[in-house]
Amino acid sequence: MIKLNEERDKDLIKELIEFGGHDLLKCYQCGTCIADCPTGIAESPLSVKKLIHICKLGLRERLIEDTTPWMCVTCGGCEERCPRGAEPFEIVLAIRRWQCKEDETYIPLVLGEIYERGHTQNLAGVSELRKSLDLPEVPPTVISKPEMLEKFRKVLRNTRIVKEYGYIFGIDEEGEE
Amino acid sequence: MSDKTPKYGLFLGCNMPALRPDVEKAIRVALPGVGIELVDIEGAACCPAFGTFYSVDEDAALAVNAWNLSLAEKAGVDIVVQCGSCYSTLRIGRHKILNGRKDGVNKLLSNAGISYQGKANVRHVIDVYYNEAGPQKISESIKYCLDGMRAVVQNPCHVLRPSKIVGFDDPENPIALKGITKALGADIPGYEREKQCCGGAGGFSKRDVKANLEFVKKKFDSMKAEVDPDVIVVSCITCLMHLDSIQDKMRKKGMIDYSIPVFDYSQLLAICLGHDPDKVARISVTPRDEVIKRILENKR
Repeated sequence: MIKLNEERDKDLIKELIEFGGHDLLKCYQCGTCIADCPTGIAESPLSVKKLIHICKLGLRERLIEDTTPWMCVTCGGCEERCPRGAEPFEIVLAIRRWQCKEDETYIPLVLGEIYERGHTQNLAGVSELRKSLDLPEVPPTVISKPEMLEKFRKVLRNTRIVKEYGYIFGIDEEGEE
Repeated sequence: MSDKTPKYGLFLGCNMPALRPDVEKAIRVALPGVGIELVDIEGAACCPAFGTFYSVDEDAALAVNAWNLSLAEKAGVDIVVQCGSCYSTLRIGRHKILNGRKDGVNKLLSNAGISYQGKANVRHVIDVYYNEAGPQKISESIKYCLDGMRAVVQNPCHVLRPSKIVGFDDPENPIALKGITKALGADIPGYEREKQCCGGAGGFSKRDVKANLEFVKKKFDSMKAEVDPDVIVVSCITCLMHLDSIQDKMRKKGMIDYSIPVFDYSQLLAICLGHDPDKVARISVTPRDEVIKRILENKR
């Protein structure tokens, strides 16, 4: 049983708006966002409608524990069809960001790989295959250009996420790699 | 359109050059084969995907978008990209940058001594084939064709929605991918679940494997019963890999007893232009040899 007088955090909506859910308050709970969502068939489907309701009720703990925002296939169906222009997909991303702030175990570790080599995949690890297809053995992206990779990292080192969670990026507390 | 040869910077992303480099090869020969010049975007990085920086720190995500856009801008080209997810984050990112976030991203980019002025744009490869090369040019350029073959097309969700930011086609009744596939000679009957997403992007396919298999099975069963296609034509690395590899899992589980070859559009075009299938369409889980053989017997 939830006692709203005790557990409702009125600031939760404001925090979500700050994280990018600018049009959250436009939602009037019609459910168009879930009617056509691919995850509707899942055991725990992603319901943006329900997530917005949790935000409006100010139930922080409920929202922290809800992993359904990470089910999103990013198909844009809800974003296109929302009759209120509430931008449900932006709200999904805003909730993910808020969850990462509240519980850093949500932060995807693949960020460290992008920092390390510029890509989620190791583009330098398939040179034999690429060569056999008459392609450049390592693609001419940042992964094969050390000077540019260092510049790329410099940009990232000045972002909030890398400053606050250096350990994900192999950076110690003094900012050294 | 001017008389000059249209020129684009090829954005590779992460999955295509690492996991399906034969698709990269196909794009590198197919676009020039229909009159589109390609250059590399030297130093490009991850787009970044929605599941990465976009899910944690939007300013950082936009800075990475701007990193890629600035490199294209410096080279004086627009980006052309196949991966739906790359296309969408670059388009959405650019939209946000041009609507109030330019100073912020340029402050971050200044740490690398670069900037993005908002000139370079992003085009999906379907858009470039359909609107720059055009179905007629494609049809006139090919040596082999898909005459007599039935195809279904899988439009990447990310090129359709949100249409006000990413759109170049009708989001409810897209015609471009069908148009360029018809130009290869294929017949493209419709089916009920044609517009259903492939289910491969984001967390769904990893977080609820069972439901994801059920979801995609509905699509396969619908196309099999209503069209019985010779080939599924996609134009997104995620659609390609998911629709190709999930069939094998379904067959092993006894969920389906059939097999439908999946090709990226550029792979089919490259084969039709006369390029070696072993270079442009080598990697797949679901066998494609029969389709390739039929195309090569089908001289224009």
